[in-house]
Amino acid sequence: MKLAKKYQHWIEFVLAMTEKEIKARYKMAIFGFLWIFLNPLLQMLVMGFIFQFFVPIKTVNYFEFLFPGLLVWNFFSYTVVKNTPMYVNERALIQKAKFPREAIVLSVVLSNLFHFLIALVMFILFEWLFNFKIHWWRWCLVPGIVVWLTVLTSGLSFLFSSLNVKWRDINFGVQAIMPLWFYATPVVYSLDLLPAWLARWLYLNPMTAIVEVLRWTIMGTAVGWWGLILSLVMTMIIFGLGVFIFKKESPFFDDWV
Amino acid sequence: MSNQDLAIKLVGVSKTYQLHHEKPTLAENIVRKNKREMFTALKNVNLEIKKGEKIGMVGSNGSGKTTLLKIISGISTPTKGLVKTWGKVVSLIDLSAGFHPELTGRENVFLNGLLIGMGREEVRAKYGQITNFADIGEFIGAPMYTYSSGMKLRLGFSIAVAADPDILILDEGTAVGDEDFQHKSSQKIDEFFKQKKTIILVSHWMDYVREHCQKVVLMKNGELVMFGKTDRVIGYYLDQIDSGK
Repeated sequence: MKLAKKYQHWIEFVLAMTEKEIKARYKMAIFGFLWIFLNPLLQMLVMGFIFQFFVPIKTVNYFEFLFPGLLVWNFFSYTVVKNTPMYVNERALIQKAKFPREAIVLSVVLSNLFHFLIALVMFILFEWLFNFKIHWWRWCLVPGIVVWLTVLTSGLSFLFSSLNVKWRDINFGVQAIMPLWFYATPVVYSLDLLPAWLARWLYLNPMTAIVEVLRWTIMGTAVGWWGLILSLVMTMIIFGLGVFIFKKESPFFDDWV
Repeated sequence: MSNQDLAIKLVGVSKTYQLHHEKPTLAENIVRKNKREMFTALKNVNLEIKKGEKIGMVGSNGSGKTTLLKIISGISTPTKGLVKTWGKVVSLIDLSAGFHPELTGRENVFLNGLLIGMGREEVRAKYGQITNFADIGEFIGAPMYTYSSGMKLRLGFSIAVAADPDILILDEGTAVGDEDFQHKSSQKIDEFFKQKKTIILVSHWMDYVREHCQKVVLMKNGELVMFGKTDRVIGYYLDQIDSGK
């Protein structure tokens, strides 16, 4: 009974923190929560409009090619960048009470996931309304991709945010690395533009596989299955390392903030 | 003594901090790995506090009182030794911490309540009681940055006492706010002293400790110098101060 109560409190606390993250973001904005829908809608319109006129790479529909990858990338990079200094920023909470420290990182992941999912659903609706060619059975894999993406993002968030408590350099490093990471992920280009030897190595970056698999569910493009396994293994290593470092460091966060 | 009557048990608790005069950087850490200055905040503290005991904690600034309280409340982890507490620990020190300035009072009540260990249902059930006690009127629906510091303290106090802790940590300044609220909050604290709650009171005000506590912990330079009957420990402490040691 005690244990069940503990889990219930854990879930309630993580959800309350997530709610805080979402609510605090739209305070003082006149459109408020409308931005949750407005933001992806505007992005889609702008990109859909622009890429009617030129197509940078050879693909049937560049908007369809670009947009889901961009959604995935934005979720990943916003979350990791925001989470990295999070334990330092929330020092007032850490010094106040004993609570599950992981809730701080998870609340950022979940609030961004909430925004990402709404944008993704809007994209699916958009596709369905204007393109009429959704591969329903392949789309059934999307939840699995979302879980994969969430695990990767959480793992990296735990890793960087825990290390950043002691070494504030991590924050600067993450900010410097993210733009490079963007170009190491095939969001704006496709892997077959690269020489084969380089494309293979790109799967060391798990975001490559996530974007490629998502693209496969939408457009049926080819996926390197061996690369997929490599990316999955990398995800597990990153997540394991992140959780390990977090578990090791989190009891001592108070000493450093 | 069996553990059943215990509220708090510390065995050989030590805490060392790494002193950093500047923010540590990765490069510095790699280059000068062995040049770490350590500061010992607690040295081998052993302490057993029974359920329902009212304990005073005295000692000069920097004697380790705060570190000890942080370890008891689970905010900090000891470098060495074991800590065990039975029941919910709530600290009434630093009451206005942990509020989000952009959120309303109401939203902050829920967040802060969960933060100090209440369940969502529990906060909902006690919401009326909390806002009544804080008595900040219309402001409960306004964002927190519009609050005066007194109002923040009042709300913080009301949430903390509603949490109905088994172990309470307070200092002499815990009676907060204006004249009116000070009266109300000190009454509430007196109520806690009469109940079977375990209380640790940190104070530099010896009369207050004499009045409220049966036993006193004396800290000095990170060591627990003395733990015993109030009069004896305070007498010893004052003698030490007089003799300039």
